[in-house]
Amino acid sequence: MNGLNGIDLVWLRQQFPRLSNLNPLSVGGQKLVFAGVHPIDGEVVLKLIHPRQDHEQTRRELLAVSQVNSERVPPILEVGTISTPVGDCSWFRERKIAGKTVRELLVVGPLSISDLLRLGLHTLEALLNAEQAKIVHRDVKPENIIRDNSGSFWLIDFGIARHLDLDSITATVSAFGKFTVGYAPQEQYRNVKTEIDARCDLFALGVTLYECATGRNPFADGARDAMEQLTRVETMPLPRLSLTFASAQKFADLVAAMTQKRRDHRPSTVREAYDWMKEICDAEGI
Amino acid sequence: MELYLQFGYGMMEHCRFLVSAWQGGTVVLSPRDLTHEQLVRLSQTIRELPGGNVLLDPQFYLPRADHERLCSHQYWPDSYSTGTFWQGPALTELLTRLRDLNQSIGSATFILPGVLADTINDDWLEIHRSILEEATALDTGFPLYMTIALSADAARNQDQIAVLLERAETWEPAGYYIVCEHPGGNYLVNDPNWLANVLDVAAGLRLRGASVVLGYCNHQMLIAACAKADAICSGTWMNVRSFPPDKFRASYDEEIRQRTTWYYCPQSLSEYTIPFLDIARRQQVLSLFAPPAPLDSPYSGILFSGQQPSSVGFTEQTAFRHYLHCLRAQCTAASLGTYDDSVAFHESVLNDAATLLARLHAAGIKGQLRDFREIIDVNRAALSVLTATRAPILRRRWTAI
Repeated sequence: MNGLNGIDLVWLRQQFPRLSNLNPLSVGGQKLVFAGVHPIDGEVVLKLIHPRQDHEQTRRELLAVSQVNSERVPPILEVGTISTPVGDCSWFRERKIAGKTVRELLVVGPLSISDLLRLGLHTLEALLNAEQAKIVHRDVKPENIIRDNSGSFWLIDFGIARHLDLDSITATVSAFGKFTVGYAPQEQYRNVKTEIDARCDLFALGVTLYECATGRNPFADGARDAMEQLTRVETMPLPRLSLTFASAQKFADLVAAMTQKRRDHRPSTVREAYDWMKEICDAEGI
Repeated sequence: MELYLQFGYGMMEHCRFLVSAWQGGTVVLSPRDLTHEQLVRLSQTIRELPGGNVLLDPQFYLPRADHERLCSHQYWPDSYSTGTFWQGPALTELLTRLRDLNQSIGSATFILPGVLADTINDDWLEIHRSILEEATALDTGFPLYMTIALSADAARNQDQIAVLLERAETWEPAGYYIVCEHPGGNYLVNDPNWLANVLDVAAGLRLRGASVVLGYCNHQMLIAACAKADAICSGTWMNVRSFPPDKFRASYDEEIRQRTTWYYCPQSLSEYTIPFLDIARRQQVLSLFAPPAPLDSPYSGILFSGQQPSSVGFTEQTAFRHYLHCLRAQCTAASLGTYDDSVAFHESVLNDAATLLARLHAAGIKGQLRDFREIIDVNRAALSVLTATRAPILRRRWTAI
C-alpha cells in the first residue's frame, strides 16, 4: 500500500467485514471514498481520511453533520480509526444517496424548472439547518449536491465547514480561506473571518442555481485561470436570469439577491432566502 | 415619503404657517438657530397645531464647535476630550441633558448626538455604538434615532459605506437621522457615487427595519423615496437644503447676506432667479414654469398673471413657501406601492425634467447653479446602482418595511 491512493482493496475489505460489495467511489486529495452495503443500514459510503489530514478538521466535519442534523444531509452512521501502513486513518460511514451529483446532471444541460426549484428549496432546507446550528458549509457547488432517484436533493461534504462558535482552524494570516474558486464569495476566499456567515453559502448556492438554470457558470466559463475567476467574482455581476415560468421573475430576483458581491446586499439570513424560495415553489406547485 | 421642515435661520414663522396650512407636519428644530426659550416656545406652538410634531437635531457633529448659540445650550459640554468623553460620565451627562430637553419640548423621538465622520473607522463606529448603548440604558421612553453624519469623502467611499452597513447589523435603534455633506459644497450633487452610497445606506438601514430620515436635503433627494426613506428634511436657505458642517463654527459666513429670490419649477427640478422668468416671459415660455395641477401652489400664481414676473412682488418668503409646498407634494407623490413603480415614477420625473430643460435651455433660460440638467444623469446613475444591488430585496419587502 503506497499511501491511500494505492490502498489495497482486499486488505480494506478485511478491515470492514460487515460491508459487502466495497468498491471505490471517488478519490480526493485527503480522502478515499468507497461504496458498500451494510447489513442493517443498506447502501453506505465509507470515507477514509488520509493520516496527513488535520484530525481537528475531520472531527469538525463529523461534528458539523451531526449538529446540522438535517433531513437533506446524509447522516453519519459510524466513525472510527484504522491502522494502515501509512499511519492511523480516521474513517466514517454515512448513508449513501443513490443518484447523481448535480455536476453529473449538468453534463447533459441545464436542469428542468422543477429540478431547479427543488434543488433550491432542498439545499436551502439543509442550509437553514446549518444556520440554526451556526455552521457555514463553505463549499456549496454542483459537485456537493446529489439528486436522488426520487428527485430529492441532498447536500454533502461538510469537509471545510466553519463552526461559527468555534475558533477557526484556518490561520488568520492566510491570504486565502478555504473555498472553491468560482463559487465562493470574496469575503470567504479573502479569509475575512468576521464576515464568514451563512451568506457565503447563499452566494455559492446562487451561483449554483444560476449554473443549473443556464448550464454555465459565468465566473468560470472561458476564464484563463483561477485568478481570472476570482476577479470575475469580485467585479462581474451575473446577468439576470431569463427563464420562462410563472414565477421566473421572482426566481431571477432571488438568484440576483443571493449572488450580490457585498453580503449586506444579499438576503440577511438563510431563513429569508428559504421563505422566498418556498413561496416560489408553492406558487409553482413544487 | 414625508417632508420634514429643517429649521434654519428665519424659519419660525414659515414653520408655524406651513404646519398649519398642511394640517400637520414635523419640524426638526435647530439649537444653532434657537435659544432654549425659543425651542420650548416654538415646539409648543407647533405641537398645538393639528398634526404638529417636533424633533430636535442636537447638532453635535463637531464636538469642538464654537458657534455661540449652539454652545450656549445646557446640554453642550463645557469641555471635550475625544479620548475620554465617549466612555465616561460626560456621555451620560450629555445624553441625560438631551433627554430632558427632548422631554421639555415634547419631541416625537430622541435623535441621539452623532459626530461627523471624516472617515468611517473603528473609532467612529465605536463612539456611535457607545452612544446608542448608553442611551438605551437610560431607558428614556423615546424611540431612539442614531445620527449618521458623514463628510463628503466618507459618503463617497464605497468601502467605508460597506463597513458602516456591516456594523449597523449589530445596532438596533428605532431609526436613523442621516446627514451627508455634499461634495465640493455643491448645492446639487454632481457625483453619482455619493448619491448611490447615500441611497445604499438609506435602503440598507430601512431593510433592517429602522426608520430613516435624511436631514438637510433639497429636491435632488426626492430619489430617496426609491430607497424607501421615511422622510427628507428641507427648509428655506441652501444651508438647510444641504449640509455644510462649517455652519456650526463661529466663523461661518451666512449666505443670508447674499439674498436672491429663487423660483422653484418642480417639473424641471430647477430653480430660477426672477430675471430669468422675465426672459421666459419675453420668450413666451413662462407658462412652462407654472406647477402642474398636482403640484399646484397657492404661492406662485401671481407669477403667471401675465405681468412681468419681476414686477409682481414675488417675495423671498413666498418663494420659500412655494418651494416647500411643491417639495412636500413631490415627496407624497414619490411614495408608491411598489419598488418598481417608485423607480418608474422617479425616472419619469427625470425624463420630463430633461425634456423641459432642453426646451428652456434652447430659449436661453437656465437655473445657473440650481439648474438640474447636469444632475439628471447623476440621479439616473445612482438609481441604476440601487436597482442592481438592492432591487430584488426592496421589491420583495417593499410593503413590509
